[in-house]
Amino acid sequence: MIFREVEDPDLIAKARRGDVEAYNLLISRWEKRVYNYLLRLVSNREDAMDVSQEVFLKAYQSLPKLDDPARFSGWLFRIAHNEAFSLLRRKRPETELAGEPRPDNLNPRLLPMELSLAVETALGRLSADQREAVLLKVYQGFKFEEMADILECPVSTVKSRLYTALDLLKATLAPMHKAALRGES
Amino acid sequence: MNCISPESKPDWKAYVLRELGQDAHRQAEAHLATCSICHEEVATLRLTLDTLSMLREEEMPRRIAFVSDKVFEPRWWQRAFSPTFAAGVLVAAAILVHGAMRPSEIPQAQVDAAVDKAVSQVEARHMQEVRAMYEQLEVRDKQVANMYSNAVLIR
Repeated sequence: MIFREVEDPDLIAKARRGDVEAYNLLISRWEKRVYNYLLRLVSNREDAMDVSQEVFLKAYQSLPKLDDPARFSGWLFRIAHNEAFSLLRRKRPETELAGEPRPDNLNPRLLPMELSLAVETALGRLSADQREAVLLKVYQGFKFEEMADILECPVSTVKSRLYTALDLLKATLAPMHKAALRGES
Repeated sequence: MNCISPESKPDWKAYVLRELGQDAHRQAEAHLATCSICHEEVATLRLTLDTLSMLREEEMPRRIAFVSDKVFEPRWWQRAFSPTFAAGVLVAAAILVHGAMRPSEIPQAQVDAAVDKAVSQVEARHMQEVRAMYEQLEVRDKQVANMYSNAVLIR
């Protein structure tokens, strides 16, 4: 007898036939990644939670349209991207106001545990497009071509957004990390 | 050795993000081993990515799950296209067609008459065979008797 792990395409096939439990298992595999991606984009836990639910509901309804189940992750993140930016467009004035009073300079003497907050702040300073490029590449591990599919833009645009973001983050974060390392030694 | 022109520099961001092809990656590594400026640039990029990795993934406030509901169930035409349902429909149709094509019920008396006729035909054929067998036996008895009488004469 051969045992093999139930893979996403198996669950997708069952979910397409109306098996809600199979879809719930699929959700349990992806919900945390989708939630964290959305959280960094919309910068609000309740919004991220609401949008996550909306994403998985839309994904379920659109499963029959998914051409290649092997590309489920990119397809799911494209839905998440569309939902997040739809929310950001609706809440633009509020978001812009909330985004303004960020500190100009981060404390360069942070402890490693505090670096997480510093990274969050540094990511918050990027434009939404740049931040999303970093989230998809650095935290979700998508290739440039996959990112272009998710964002529905050319690879050159993806690289431009990501490279600019990395230059900004390098200027902000690298000195802090060096200081933290010096503090440890 | 240091970089002479910026154009000759490899794409270091693509390098640290593992987006270079095999050949370009090998060439970049060879360049990196000899260029202190690029070495410093790559070290800073790696440090930035290391720092970004310090961002903690948050737990969700609550889990997402759906319950089976009419909203989620496939529509009748979606069910009709499922292989299991289609196979069931075909089997049911085959049974109905077979039932429709079967001849109607025959009266018992007609059946009994047909059976009696078939039995009497078999019995008649059997009697003919028995009679033929007797005739053959009688012929054979005569032949044997003749043989005995001839033998007595020869002695």
